[in-house]
Amino acid sequence: MHPVSWSEHVSAALLGTARKPVPALPESQGLPESPGQGEDPAGRLLDQAALLTVRKRAGMRPATAGEPIAPAPQEHAAPVPPAAARRLARILEGERIRVLPEWLDAAADHGYRVPARMLPDLLEKGRGNRDLRPSIARAAGRRGVWLALQNTDWAYLVGSGDDPGGDTAEVWETGTRPQRVAYLVRLRGADPAAAREALAATWSREAAPDRAAYLATFEHGLSPGDEDFLEHALEDRGKDVRQLASDLLARLPGSAYGRRMAARALRCVRPEIRSAPPGGRAETWITVEPPDSYDDELARDGVPFHPSGSFAPSAPGGQPVGARSAWLREILARTPLSTWTELFEAEPAAVVTLRAATSGGPDARAARDLHTGWARAAVRQHDTAWARALLRSGVLADEPDDLAGLLGVLPGEERGVAAADLIRWGESGPDVLRVLRRVPGPWTGPLADAVIATIGAAHERATDLRGRAVIQLCELAEQRLTPDAAPRLVRLTTREGDDAASPALARLIDSLSFRHDMLKELAQ
Amino acid sequence: MSDRVARFGGVNDRWDREQVLGLAPDAASAKAAGGVAKPAKWDGTGCDDDALWGECRGSGKNPYRACVDLSEPAFRCSCPSRKFPCKHALGLLLLWSDGTVDAGPRPAWAAEWIEERRARADRARERRAGAAAKARDPKTVERREQRVDGGVAELDQWLRDQVTHGLAQAEQASYRLWDDVARRLVDAQAAGLAGQVRALAAVPRKPGWPGRLLEEYALLRLLVRAYRRRDGLPEGLRETVRSRVGFTVQQEDVVREGERVRDLWCVTGSRDIAQDQLTTRRIWLRGRRSGRPALVLSFAVPGRPLDASLVVGTEVDAELAFYPGSQPLRAIVAERYGAAVPAVPDGSPVAGFLEEYAAALERDPWLDRWPAVLSGVRPARPPGERNGTWNLQVVDAEGDALPLLPTDPWRLLAASGGRPVTVAGEWTPRGMRPLALWSEDEGVCIL
Repeated sequence: MHPVSWSEHVSAALLGTARKPVPALPESQGLPESPGQGEDPAGRLLDQAALLTVRKRAGMRPATAGEPIAPAPQEHAAPVPPAAARRLARILEGERIRVLPEWLDAAADHGYRVPARMLPDLLEKGRGNRDLRPSIARAAGRRGVWLALQNTDWAYLVGSGDDPGGDTAEVWETGTRPQRVAYLVRLRGADPAAAREALAATWSREAAPDRAAYLATFEHGLSPGDEDFLEHALEDRGKDVRQLASDLLARLPGSAYGRRMAARALRCVRPEIRSAPPGGRAETWITVEPPDSYDDELARDGVPFHPSGSFAPSAPGGQPVGARSAWLREILARTPLSTWTELFEAEPAAVVTLRAATSGGPDARAARDLHTGWARAAVRQHDTAWARALLRSGVLADEPDDLAGLLGVLPGEERGVAAADLIRWGESGPDVLRVLRRVPGPWTGPLADAVIATIGAAHERATDLRGRAVIQLCELAEQRLTPDAAPRLVRLTTREGDDAASPALARLIDSLSFRHDMLKELAQ
Repeated sequence: MSDRVARFGGVNDRWDREQVLGLAPDAASAKAAGGVAKPAKWDGTGCDDDALWGECRGSGKNPYRACVDLSEPAFRCSCPSRKFPCKHALGLLLLWSDGTVDAGPRPAWAAEWIEERRARADRARERRAGAAAKARDPKTVERREQRVDGGVAELDQWLRDQVTHGLAQAEQASYRLWDDVARRLVDAQAAGLAGQVRALAAVPRKPGWPGRLLEEYALLRLLVRAYRRRDGLPEGLRETVRSRVGFTVQQEDVVREGERVRDLWCVTGSRDIAQDQLTTRRIWLRGRRSGRPALVLSFAVPGRPLDASLVVGTEVDAELAFYPGSQPLRAIVAERYGAAVPAVPDGSPVAGFLEEYAAALERDPWLDRWPAVLSGVRPARPPGERNGTWNLQVVDAEGDALPLLPTDPWRLLAASGGRPVTVAGEWTPRGMRPLALWSEDEGVCIL
């Protein structure tokens, strides 16, 4: 190819042969004799350009190779089976997109990864939806991290995957924050004291948000040995660090912090023998007197001046909570629950049913403060006996957030039973829905039974199926209910031989069969 | 308007899900079809070798009757949807593809509809045959040749005028500069030339446009000169020139008289181009034994399905009938001898491919795209490419590279993982447009 000759032709053509002569081709490259040549410069220019163009195209040489893209590391996991891959493609195109996290988790649980060709579409989904990211990180494989390293839009995957950057102490010195957190979590699991010392060595050099992130790892292997470190952190400059330290201390059995809180709580709550109505049978009552002032000591121990929920109701339709009540709830939430079983010399189930009063007499507000405080304490201290007692007593039936928290304390199987009980008591009111939203799937056993029974009962009273609450329950069940429940729901629709199955129920059955097929493909 | 003549409706040869959804006029229809494809919604479904039928319960009182003639395929449904095919026809096909539709006798309504359709198709074929016969009438032929001669002479004069007065004016010119010429060429019955001229309006907006415009004008001039001396050209080259000018060859003639090649044809790529209310699907094939490339075209107006019978990443034992030309490329599937099976095409290194392209250009200098199948190539950044931009090239084991046209690089990167793979695509003088990739561990990936 003769680039000079070609560019001469281009510049002649740009200006026009009326103004610029046609460049001459070297003798050896001349055109075969053509009619009209000589008298028509434009035609000659075009003919020569055609020759050069075809020669240029036909004479194309391979280009110089640049820098190859560094290859991705070898995968540990196999790609999912073809049927599962085809279904993933459908999901990524938008068909039932909400099952995506379940698909990803199931694939990871079975030791599979997402086929490499689908990674760009998948990583793009995680870019817009943070909630998907943990599941994506589990199933994207090493190729996913490799790809994310080359596209800043997908950087969220880097450092969050199964590749936490090695297990050596060097990670603690040089790693990124997620890598260092992962290192601390592992070390807390094996040797909590060593992890504490590693953190203590760099504590003063870390930025406040980092200190909070590292301190949060203390929830793994929390023990009395951590107490001094946490007491020290109560005076940290970072607000999040102080809050975290007080929360951790409140969960530490037998700590000085717990004793301080218990002392405060006991000033507000005491047993009293009463007879109501006057002259009736004498019973143990709980007399409640919320703290009347706020002091620096309370602040140091992590009780905020405006606890969340004070002044404004925490739930729709709830009552606003005054500041004094809110302080009391915070104190109770941080007081070791053993304080109460010792004070009343009774089991939790007995304590939660005691009646409450203020100095003025029986008082529903006082009872609510007590139960709310205890529920939060049971969640923080992972106390299953108290959680069970509070759930069974029904005292918190209209506090869905607290109920949901208590459910989370119970071991998996019992949680389903307890949630099922809640459904039976509350039918399918909006509060039950709020609780159920917090119960992760798959719903099996008694919980599945209760959900199906609720839907079935609504189906029999055909009008109820159009009720908002049941429709929402169906929608939630689409994602959470175990797919094995589908045949029982189908029986509901066919029992009466009518075609008028409600759209919500039909959608639920569809979703369950979709998920059933999906999980079967991944279990191969 | 499909080029496909072969029938593939046998019970043992049911289409897979992707093929069915490939018929959907848009993504929403494909999604809706998935919702309808539930056995519980259907009554009286059945199929035989040529057709498929069923009644779908909708929201109304009467069920919708859907029927698919598998030989075309053609669709009919009693629903009021304007989508074509509608979700009922697609849903029915999905059920059939899943194997949940059993063979059985046609109900009267389905039989009646299929008979009507066949009769209509026969009448249309007769009309076309009549038109074709008229086109072969010597007087018509002579009139057309005269018109084309006039158009070609006018184009030659126009090309020379452009170069005489300079191409610089093209940068500011409105599309009319080319469109007017194209219209006159349409009037002169030289549709091939008209299409090429109309496409030129886009060139002055691209980088390096003066050189590209000169290339295009020069090749048009070459075509004009070749056409003028067509009687002196060898037969194959004459056919190539005539088809590029705009003389079409009837499908029936290609099937009857075209060169037949039976081979294991591997489908290496598919690309849809929408232009002027017409979507063209280009499907590239490569013969396993002959090594020959082939191009199967199908056309559809928007909203109508394109040919979905050839699936990228599969191989089918078939006989193609090639359109005439000095470098035969376009073809029709004349006969299929079995079901398609997944397959990896045989590729060549970069140098081998460029030699093949040069040889093809020698036979047809106007070839501006040619199917490439490169094996053992890795993605790389061209020398001097900055971080953050994603112009890529592919490099083979010898260190020879080919540039890729700038397209979304992520699937190519993800599926290759930076390792050697087989890449198929369309080669153009400006680089390769990758269409499909085969990796050792995960098979085919459509790019």
